[in-house]
Amino acid sequence: MIKGLIDWLDERIRIRDLGKAFSDRPIPGGASWFYVLGASLLFIFTLQMATGILLAFYYVPTPDHAYASVKFIQHEAPFGSFVRGLHHWGASFMMVLVALHLLRVLIFGSYKKPREVVWLVGVGLIALVGGFAFTGYLLPWDQKAYWATVVGTNVAGTVPVVGGVLLRIVRGGTELGALSLSRFFAIHTYILPWSLALLAGLHVFLLERAGAGGIWNAADRVPYKAEPLFPNQIFRDTVFILAVFLSLASLAVLFPAPLEPQADPTDSTYNPRPEWYFYFVFQMLRVFEGKLELIGTVILPGVAGAVLMLIPFLDRSPERNPAKRKLMMGAAAAAVISVIGLTIAGARAPIVNEPAVTSPSVLAGRAVFGRSGCSSCHSINGRGGTIGPDLTHVGSRRPEVDWHLRHFRDPRSVVPGSLMPKVDLSEKELRELTDYMLSLK
Amino acid sequence: MNIESEGRRNFMIRAIIGIAAFIGGVVTVPLAGFGILPVLRKKAAAWSDAGSLRDLQVNEPQERRFLETVKQGWQEEKVERAVWLVRTAEGGVRAFSPSCPHLGCGYRWFSADRQFKCPCHASVFDIDGKVLAGPSPRALDALETKVEDGKVFVKFEVFQVGTAGKVAA
Repeated sequence: MIKGLIDWLDERIRIRDLGKAFSDRPIPGGASWFYVLGASLLFIFTLQMATGILLAFYYVPTPDHAYASVKFIQHEAPFGSFVRGLHHWGASFMMVLVALHLLRVLIFGSYKKPREVVWLVGVGLIALVGGFAFTGYLLPWDQKAYWATVVGTNVAGTVPVVGGVLLRIVRGGTELGALSLSRFFAIHTYILPWSLALLAGLHVFLLERAGAGGIWNAADRVPYKAEPLFPNQIFRDTVFILAVFLSLASLAVLFPAPLEPQADPTDSTYNPRPEWYFYFVFQMLRVFEGKLELIGTVILPGVAGAVLMLIPFLDRSPERNPAKRKLMMGAAAAAVISVIGLTIAGARAPIVNEPAVTSPSVLAGRAVFGRSGCSSCHSINGRGGTIGPDLTHVGSRRPEVDWHLRHFRDPRSVVPGSLMPKVDLSEKELRELTDYMLSLK
Repeated sequence: MNIESEGRRNFMIRAIIGIAAFIGGVVTVPLAGFGILPVLRKKAAAWSDAGSLRDLQVNEPQERRFLETVKQGWQEEKVERAVWLVRTAEGGVRAFSPSCPHLGCGYRWFSADRQFKCPCHASVFDIDGKVLAGPSPRALDALETKVEDGKVFVKFEVFQVGTAGKVAA
């Protein structure tokens, strides 16, 4: 049946030639477990596409609905927690596998002539994967999403001269809001997937043109030691992919993707933390403070990116054996150790804001404040309207419970001529709102 | 090139196909379920307040409108609904779905003829919902009702049209 179909196609479009050209690609020095990383990245990318497209069935990229729709996916939709878990952990796997793939190519010297362009496209792919991670975690619109993105986009604002304009372009305005969310969504689901698919295709195509690098030892790269891509290498790829898939699926089941409370732009007690794979950037911002900030945000990342791109042109000796490339291996080790060190330091960074010891009634009061529209006239920590007085420190100014209660019931009874309307809330809500006011010091 | 023995080659090919099928299967079930199952969920009917009993006269059908809170996926909406209410001589209240069971048109009560008539294909029903004439395959769809504190509550449901049996849509 299948053979009949293949015969039919072969007679017309010589499909067997195509299959042979693919399967017989020789791996110099033979297939190896070291070469499975690229294929596993293709697999993760495919899985991210599948889960991502399905998440978009329910996800809505607006501040009003994003959180509710993610909550629905996470808690109500059948298999929702699993699908979101796969997508969430898939991002982390992508990061780890990209790093391992990069190191493997570096150690094997596979970037050397004739594969310099394959390397260059690879560096572009790393940038795209970073872009995916950064744009992806704003989408749930929870506290972590919001605050990590506030900080992350502010990095763009530190660029000299064009920083302000850049920040507006990234955020779609001066503040993080509806326009940022739809813009991040469009980048995450249209621009980046298409770019990644095209560049990944180019990466594989260029490797096919240049030929696989194989083992570093020239004496082993002889025709009789080579093995075909299929099934020898594809077999190893597939077994590794199975291992990757099983660990990914287990993580998705055992550790569901987190979802923090909905983003609250007025919250001043939250401790923003990025995802673990951005800890090293986060830590760099802590190391280079004040006037030196530019080193951490623009100069070092820029230099690192440029050096990474230039590696095949700086290191042009044909020697591929890592034992004889002490300088390159030393530099790679130093880079790996710094990134890991910064990541660990970032993970351990002390929390700046004390963990909120907020009483439930203050929290309830903040919710009352939010839903009663108080912020259309009053600001807290620089957010809100300017018609009424700024309430950031109202607790120090007006520490008396009674004053607030009387003021809410009839503002003019304590502030003659006040423009504030009477607050029509239940006794319990007024108490909560008062507790919240007193907590603002 | 170093070509493997036939046996080892076949083993590798089978392993590749087997693993691919395994991963494909394990992924497809949850992904397809995630994409499709929420759509197939039947909505649980809930009681809606359809107004007071007092204004309803015995055997004089009245159309009542009310807002039903409907949860669609993550979104809760208030949807305007209509029902026909009939207060019976025994003191109970009967409610009919506002869609003709033939093809779903909205029908009306003609008090002079004491009949419900559908404007689309001229189905005619009596005050109990029974088909008197026309293409409707079944009687008007009765909805569950209850009376509490002088108010009529209706469990609003939507039914498939064009079928002989009354099946929730």
